[in-house]
Amino acid sequence: MTTRKLHFGRIILITVISTLMVMPVYLLFKISISSPSEVLTQHPTFLIHHFDFSHWRDVFQSGNIWAPLEKSLIVATGTMALATVIVAPASYAISRLSRKVRFGYIAALFFTKMFPTVGIALPIAITFTRWGLVDSDFGLVMAHLIEEIPFMAWILLSTFSAIPKALEEAALVDGANRMQALRYVVFPVAAQGIAVAAMYVWLNSWNEFTFALYLSLTTKTLPLEVYYYVQRGGFFETAAYSTLLAVPVILITFVLQRYLKSEYLSGAVK
Amino acid sequence: MRWLKKYYLELLLVLPMTVYILGFTLVPLIKTVILGFQDRYTGKFSWSTYQALFERPDFIQSIGNTAGISLISLTIQMFLAFVIANVLKQKFHGRAVVRSLVLMPMGIPTIVSGIIALYIFGTSGYFNELLLKLHLITRPVQWLTEGFQGLLVISLADTWKVLPTLVLLLLAGLEGISNEIYEAAAIDGASRWQTLGRITLPLLKPTITMAVLFRAVDVFRIFELPQVLVGQSVPFVATFAYQEYNLNNPNGSGAASTILLAMILTFALLWLKFVDRGAGFADQN
Amino acid sequence: MKKKIWLRGLVGVGVLASLSLLVACGGPTKKTATSTLNVTMGLSDEEWKVMNQDVLPAFEKESGIKVNAIQMEAADVEKKLQASVAAKRNDIDVISQDVNTTAQLVADGYMEDLSDQTKIIPSSTYPIQKQVGVFNGKTYFLPYRPNVEINYYNKTKFDKYGLQPPTNWDELLTVAKTLKAKEGIGRVAFKMSGDVIELVEFIRSAGGDPLNLNDAGTVTALTYLQKLMPYLSADTLKGTFSTTNTFLAKDEVYYMPNWPFATNIIVGDGGRKDILATSGFAGPKEQVKTLGGEVLGVVKGTKNKAAALKFIKYLETKQVQQLLLKKNGWPSFRADVTGTVTGWQAPYYQATDAALKIAQPLPNVTYMPDVNKLINDIFQETCVQGKDVKTVLQDYQPKLAKIKAEAKKAQ
Repeated sequence: MTTRKLHFGRIILITVISTLMVMPVYLLFKISISSPSEVLTQHPTFLIHHFDFSHWRDVFQSGNIWAPLEKSLIVATGTMALATVIVAPASYAISRLSRKVRFGYIAALFFTKMFPTVGIALPIAITFTRWGLVDSDFGLVMAHLIEEIPFMAWILLSTFSAIPKALEEAALVDGANRMQALRYVVFPVAAQGIAVAAMYVWLNSWNEFTFALYLSLTTKTLPLEVYYYVQRGGFFETAAYSTLLAVPVILITFVLQRYLKSEYLSGAVK
Repeated sequence: MRWLKKYYLELLLVLPMTVYILGFTLVPLIKTVILGFQDRYTGKFSWSTYQALFERPDFIQSIGNTAGISLISLTIQMFLAFVIANVLKQKFHGRAVVRSLVLMPMGIPTIVSGIIALYIFGTSGYFNELLLKLHLITRPVQWLTEGFQGLLVISLADTWKVLPTLVLLLLAGLEGISNEIYEAAAIDGASRWQTLGRITLPLLKPTITMAVLFRAVDVFRIFELPQVLVGQSVPFVATFAYQEYNLNNPNGSGAASTILLAMILTFALLWLKFVDRGAGFADQN
Repeated sequence: MKKKIWLRGLVGVGVLASLSLLVACGGPTKKTATSTLNVTMGLSDEEWKVMNQDVLPAFEKESGIKVNAIQMEAADVEKKLQASVAAKRNDIDVISQDVNTTAQLVADGYMEDLSDQTKIIPSSTYPIQKQVGVFNGKTYFLPYRPNVEINYYNKTKFDKYGLQPPTNWDELLTVAKTLKAKEGIGRVAFKMSGDVIELVEFIRSAGGDPLNLNDAGTVTALTYLQKLMPYLSADTLKGTFSTTNTFLAKDEVYYMPNWPFATNIIVGDGGRKDILATSGFAGPKEQVKTLGGEVLGVVKGTKNKAAALKFIKYLETKQVQQLLLKKNGWPSFRADVTGTVTGWQAPYYQATDAALKIAQPLPNVTYMPDVNKLINDIFQETCVQGKDVKTVLQDYQPKLAKIKAEAKKAQ
């Protein structure tokens, strides 16, 4: 009897959790296709009464969406790639150093993450402006790396720490040199962990706002475009652009579900 | 020299990352900290900026609000993440679908989650409408105000956005505890609560520490959500620092940022000393 | 095994992408020919259409100067200038800037002194408009587009409770009290969240001086606000020019001032034809509005000063001003620009026009950002925390004196 009851309780719990997580995204989408009278009232409706795609049509017809979309894609992908190239080898190396060094490094990473972004955005913006990196995709990638490198290192350090040294040593005994051991033994084991971290970095960069604001003059990323409509635009443009900003991200998380096994984060705590 | 020879590869690999972090984070960070210790007008070393800061009513409030929301958020988020992770750990029909749904907010940009929160918690928002329809309230409630209620709503908006990552983290920890231990406990006749208190939580401690510290850093620095949801009416240290900077006082901004740094450090040290006691973070083996 | 190949591919693509990025974007972006002017403006979508289709092409054709107009909110201009000036890059030549944020730019030394260029200002300019860009006797900004907030109200709700939009402080208090009594929550709101525009209106309407802050007028204004505060919506403390539109359109507040650009969004876009506007209400002494809008300035160190001045001169011509009035509903700084705004926007334009007649700019002093902070803190202590007005004002006098002294020293 108790098991059935528990079972029932669990179903309710699961339903409630799923609903709460999905509801906000649904509402955002709903507003973007609503007619004004459904939204601009004291009693907004919960259900979709009819599909009014005119706001979406306006967004695409105005043509303001493509350039920011392209910039956001390039910057997010570039940040992901560069972060991986810089962090993966470094994390590997640190994970092979003594415990003290490793701990010091982790503490330093943690420390750099504690400061508010506004605090370092200005000095960085001045330096980057001097180097002519304003409005360049590469400049923004470099700025995003400031936040993403410690973040990725935080995950990857643990991923690599979880790979036993013995595995590598065995390869060395078998006559492989260090690069070969790295290439054929260590990286294949760590690859999925790296992929997960890389995906996180992509998402963070796609969403980043503060540095983008400082380092853009004539070009925009998607979050900046949304910010413009939040400040200046109508209610529905804001909803439509916000949905557009969220959609690719939701799709990516869905697609990468299979690879997003929690074990890759587990390394972080072992 | 022998050391260099032995570790040259490691050094080579670590170098780019170290240089980047030093050059682009640590150096500007230290510059900003120094800025806070300089007098605004003379540029000489002085406490005057901090003195002025602590005379501002908003700043005192912002410290309280920041500490408050951090406690509220961490409590709610750790509790919910733990519950959801426990649910997802079990195998049931449609688990993959539920997992996908739970992970959905992960990639929603913070600025968008702020916009959504406004739709929901505005005076004419969906939450009030729901409560009105259920006859729980008779007139709309203004949720986003100073005090516990406002902090709670902001932290709910924050919770929605960060829960997926936390769930993944805790799930990883939970899955790392072998079933044999649970089976042994069941044979010894341990109740559910005993299992939770004596086995799950202690074994999960490193994960919890990791998650708490990870989250604490971000929730102490909370910026975009309050900026969108409450503006200056509920000040936080990070939004205050931004406001100071906007009103032409980089010294004040630097000092406020430094205070935030100190707050996070204090929290991390207290946690490691009194709660974690060397179980997780410090013991990197 | 398949999975691993897929992932390896991903990593490979990532490495390639990063390498190509390095090659593609490694060099600094080159500055284009000197005949391109970079101009910042903060406009809405509709206003940009007018700018790009009707205003800029004619100038480009006439002068051969290319204008690169960039969308930028007033609050962001400072960040951009700070970075580009500190880096000696001169990315921006001309700014069309919110007149209430100019003090800071002048204080920071980002703006070119245009005192010898005042002949550009047309003779038909309203006297008050000639003064808005003058700091310490030097002209840094030239007139372009005066603006003023109008007070929006929800006719449906006002009718429902038999209310009229207030014309003085007593009526305002009555309206706020009535709405709170009928609905249970405050439905009248102002913007008291860091912006001092409306606070200064209250102070000045009672005869106070925002640079003195200890006179009878300031005391009257704050005492009144202390009384009014409990009947106001909580949104008063978080209203911005963009959130106000939502508050009004979603019936969250029934009375709130905002800049006239809100008309297009609330009424045009949102279809809320029952939200109307007036020019506001009078205080015990007089009715005062804070003058806003935009002025034109040249960024210090620009290599395109001549072209910049030419462009400013063009924007100030009668013909452009008339065009902006007709298409955007922007009131002009020129007395000789007349024209009628027709259609549904007409009543809102009339409210703006009436409010403009009684508008005064914020004090043109370079230390205004610091005074701004003081006024906010005073409001916080008196109206939010409920402390005694006179005591608080006394307490703030030394701080105000220090700000003024430091400003004098810096000159």
